[in-house]
Amino acid sequence: MREPQSSQHLGVILVLALRNLRRNARRTILTATALMVGGALLIFSLLLGDGTHEQWIDSGVRTGSGHVTIERPEFRLSRKIEDRLPASTRPLVTTALKSPDVASHVTSVFARLTVTGLASSASGARPAQILGVDPVTEATLSPLDEQVIDGRYLEPGDRLAAYVGVGLVESLDLRLGSRLVLTAQDTHKEIAGQLVRVVGVFRSGIPEIDQSLIHIPLDTAGEWLGTGHDVTNIGVMLDDSTAVAGLVQHLRSELADPLRRGEAVVMGWQEAMPALRDAVLIDEWGSYVMFGILFIIIGFSIVNTVLMSVLHRYREFGVLQALGLTPPQTGAVVLIEGLVLTGLSGVAGVALGFGLTWFFLADGLDMTRMMDGLDEMTFSGVAIDPVIYPVFRMTRVVQSLGFIVFLGALASVYPAVRAATVDAAEAMKFER
Amino acid sequence: MNESITLASPSGADLPAAASMPAVRTQGVWKIFQQEAEEVQAVRDVSLTIAAGEFTALAGPSGSGKTTLLNLIGGLTRPTRGEVWVEDREVSTLSNAELAELRLQQVGFIFQAYNLLPVFSAMENAEFPMLLQGIPADERRTRVRELFERTGLTGLEDRRPGKLSGGQQQRVAVVRAVASKPALVLADEPTANLDSRASEALLDMMAELNRDLGVTFVFATHDTRVMDRSRRVVRMVDGAIDSDETQP
Repeated sequence: MREPQSSQHLGVILVLALRNLRRNARRTILTATALMVGGALLIFSLLLGDGTHEQWIDSGVRTGSGHVTIERPEFRLSRKIEDRLPASTRPLVTTALKSPDVASHVTSVFARLTVTGLASSASGARPAQILGVDPVTEATLSPLDEQVIDGRYLEPGDRLAAYVGVGLVESLDLRLGSRLVLTAQDTHKEIAGQLVRVVGVFRSGIPEIDQSLIHIPLDTAGEWLGTGHDVTNIGVMLDDSTAVAGLVQHLRSELADPLRRGEAVVMGWQEAMPALRDAVLIDEWGSYVMFGILFIIIGFSIVNTVLMSVLHRYREFGVLQALGLTPPQTGAVVLIEGLVLTGLSGVAGVALGFGLTWFFLADGLDMTRMMDGLDEMTFSGVAIDPVIYPVFRMTRVVQSLGFIVFLGALASVYPAVRAATVDAAEAMKFER
Repeated sequence: MNESITLASPSGADLPAAASMPAVRTQGVWKIFQQEAEEVQAVRDVSLTIAAGEFTALAGPSGSGKTTLLNLIGGLTRPTRGEVWVEDREVSTLSNAELAELRLQQVGFIFQAYNLLPVFSAMENAEFPMLLQGIPADERRTRVRELFERTGLTGLEDRRPGKLSGGQQQRVAVVRAVASKPALVLADEPTANLDSRASEALLDMMAELNRDLGVTFVFATHDTRVMDRSRRVVRMVDGAIDSDETQP
């Protein structure tokens, strides 16, 4: 007598499962189609959602403080010049970013001297967010230089130049070449003024930015406020927002001493821009809930298909047990049927979803019509682009397939238990 | 007779060479079903010994307990009390997995409704228990082809059950039951769905397999043709043995 191998049983069970799926071709095709469409929608929606979120994050970090920001702990709330980074921090950051572990993701590094002050003209005064920037670096990362509506962005060699938001220009009745006095507290806690001329006007579409932001050369700001080459924050831009956590961890390790002394903190954009993080999370979970509901419906369809198949074959399961399959092996026939059905449909659905996504990869999905009547859509300091570009991420493929197969397994459990608990003797009496 | 088919008992002794151990032995077996508030005694205190190589009919009207006794012997259901032995194994003490193993290795079943797997061809159905036993494909095919030849099924190997007549399906079921060389074949009303000609042909075939290959057959039947062909007829009434006659 030979000892049967479990792999042989598995092979038999697999063949039985495949043949039974083919046996009820119409039912199988209908369920597989539902799964494929669901899978395609899932992957398309996830990749489009990721693209949307990347655009939000990109917009947010470019106008904000970068994917990763290094600043003094007090600075975020105080916005005071005395809460600037010590001069020793910049070289440490520069060295840390040269590490091969992170260097490949870093696209640019910028340093800013940010101060809250007053902008005054002959027509009045308005509170302003004044940024001392390096014009060359800023032009490579900030979208503001492309949003010029009059004049130009700052250039190397500019000294008393200011690039001003359109809201502020209108409030202070300024025009190109107008003189503007910036007032803020300097390093000696004295009120210091700086005369600048408007060289360019921008419209970001974000009211809070257009009504308060002014860019001036970093050197001018340093001289005006007596900070020399010190800066209030250093921002790092990355090629992929998913690399943020790794860089934050790396910088926290490399800047351990200043961090321990309370001279600096390292924050990812999620910490620096909690409103944007929450918006991304809410949108993401909204999608998950929607797809959860959709797949619960599809799950019931799988339960129905597999359970009907089990009830129809009640006698057969008795026969299988009489011929030598154990109850768990009988249940495995059903479980494998469900897994094969969902696995193959899931793969086909994800492939279909990829095809659909590919179609929109180059030109994006234009949602302009849905924004009719709105010049700009913004939230939390982020401008929403009506053209959404999906992004490809393998993790989404694995997640989608895993989810669909898990759903298939879950939906097949009850029918499998029904098959496994068949009373073989009773099943023989069963009339179809 | 095809000389190349040699069946051996699981213990290794050639059959039917009068094996000393009985193929089946029951001792004071009861099977009581609970139907709502009522107890139904399907099998009552049955003690029975069937020697290896016997061709035995359990006869009786519907409800006499013959099918239940067959299911008890085959380990498809467990006795309420008493002992059921198949060769050297006490069926009622086995776990579900051990029972499945017993059915796979030592028992072949033939059912009234044939019960072939509709997704498999005649050949695949017949070799199914051997597939589970882990017998290599060549050996499986050889055994099935030889038995198909003996039973007039040659040429029908690739047909699905739906494309076979009732008689042909039942013959495939018989081949399935004996091809894996079980110690015992249990047949529940095997002729009930067949016309008289097909029934006679099937009985001829099973008698030949019993005689030539030494397979022990136990039938549950109320078909007089089966009883006439059986060397031993155990009559059951109301779950108990009423008579036990061995024909000369």
